[in-house]
Amino acid sequence: MNTYLTQMWAIIWKDLILEIRSRERIAAMGAFAVLAGVLFNFSIDTTTTRPQDVAAGLIWMTLVFGGLLGVGRTFHLESQDGALQGVLMSPAPKDAVFLAKTAANFALLYAVSLLVLGVFGLFFGVGPGQNLGWVVLVLGVGSLGFVALGTLFAAVSTGTSMGETLLPVLVFPLLVPMVIYGAGATTWLMNGRPFVEVEGNVRMLGAFALAAVAAGAVLFRYVVED
Amino acid sequence: MTDVVSPAEDTLGAEEGDRLDSNLFGSVVLEADGLRREYGPVIAVDGIDLSLAEGEFLTIFGPNGAGKSSLLGMLAGAMRPTAGIVRVRGQELAFSDTGWRHRIGMLSHRGFLYGRLTAEENLRFYGKLFGLVDLEERIPARLDQVGLGARARFQARQLSHGMRQRLSLARALLHDPDVVLLDEPYTGLDPSAAGVLRGVLEELKDGRRTVVMVTHNLREGLEMATRVAIQVAGRFAWHGRIESVDREDFERHYHEVVEARA
Repeated sequence: MNTYLTQMWAIIWKDLILEIRSRERIAAMGAFAVLAGVLFNFSIDTTTTRPQDVAAGLIWMTLVFGGLLGVGRTFHLESQDGALQGVLMSPAPKDAVFLAKTAANFALLYAVSLLVLGVFGLFFGVGPGQNLGWVVLVLGVGSLGFVALGTLFAAVSTGTSMGETLLPVLVFPLLVPMVIYGAGATTWLMNGRPFVEVEGNVRMLGAFALAAVAAGAVLFRYVVED
Repeated sequence: MTDVVSPAEDTLGAEEGDRLDSNLFGSVVLEADGLRREYGPVIAVDGIDLSLAEGEFLTIFGPNGAGKSSLLGMLAGAMRPTAGIVRVRGQELAFSDTGWRHRIGMLSHRGFLYGRLTAEENLRFYGKLFGLVDLEERIPARLDQVGLGARARFQARQLSHGMRQRLSLARALLHDPDVVLLDEPYTGLDPSAAGVLRGVLEELKDGRRTVVMVTHNLREGLEMATRVAIQVAGRFAWHGRIESVDREDFERHYHEVVEARA
């Protein structure tokens, strides 16, 4: 394995092992996902509203807000003993640091997104049915775009006095296209429509995710360098 | 290549205008030219020039707010200078390149450690970032060097402050850097822990490394140094070779220099 991948893997491993030991972020995101599912279950009248028409929107909303809880704290552990400075003073390229942090966040958020899917399936009795694979793909691509933007802006907000309060203000406007394409595709798929009908949405979502990853990899160094 | 320290007009005391003969030491390792760092209207470092050769140990004293940590940050490549350049073995520290980072190790007053990783895991993590391949041999050796061999499986948060400081030193030395930068390494250490740290720092005076240490601890600082500087208001207000320092009278001299420049 070349050095670049070794450096990336070291950061991914470190982030995941710290999360496994502290359960700080996964617990917050998971609890939020379950709580949101429970609340929506009681607040939506299924005799007047078809669950499959609203489930996708609620899933994406839960994903975005829950994701911010986790991604917003991605640099929290790094800043406790100045560890981020230690990482930045190593020869690891800044884009490798960004991609690794994004990958670790993606693993966490994707796990939560599948939990959200399960929770809403349980409470609303709706599921993607035969489109399960496509819905899982859409959530994966959307999660990737989200964590790429979230990781970049978490680095921005960590260095400010407003900290996590600032993150949603910065990220939400940029997430709008992702949520529109992602929720749209998910709704159609959960209504049993064939994938070809939402292929355009998924392509746009994928383009958005790739653009977010590429932009983050390029811009990260300007965010973290003093 | 000129050897050592600040411009003559910025020098007080017996060492005024002094330039050390580079032949006394090895080749020049660490150089800074016109180093300056501003934080808005505040000038933390105000045009420092220095040149240190292989085997030199420079201790920098100075009051709080003198810009010592900012100077170290720039020498470490952790902080971008407002003006001036830093070179390590002739290679300019360019932020677009990372190759030179192998040559520098820094022990800050913050440990750069992850509390929930064990001592061994912390070193393995940083070792991989530095692209080291012999970690299985190197990590136990470094932990033994700082007296933490028996604590390898302890999480960093379970270690005392003194042990964490030693673990940080092991981290800073893991990749065998040419230049070691130490920012207040004695802060918060009891006499026993300070003694252990002193022993490790003594090993750094192997004639091969160049060390810059910032400290308020006059006794420990003089103990290690081959050169001494007093930084006030972002500049070297005094500097000299250790042979020219009257250790018994240094505290009085220090206060005189600081008050003269304050």
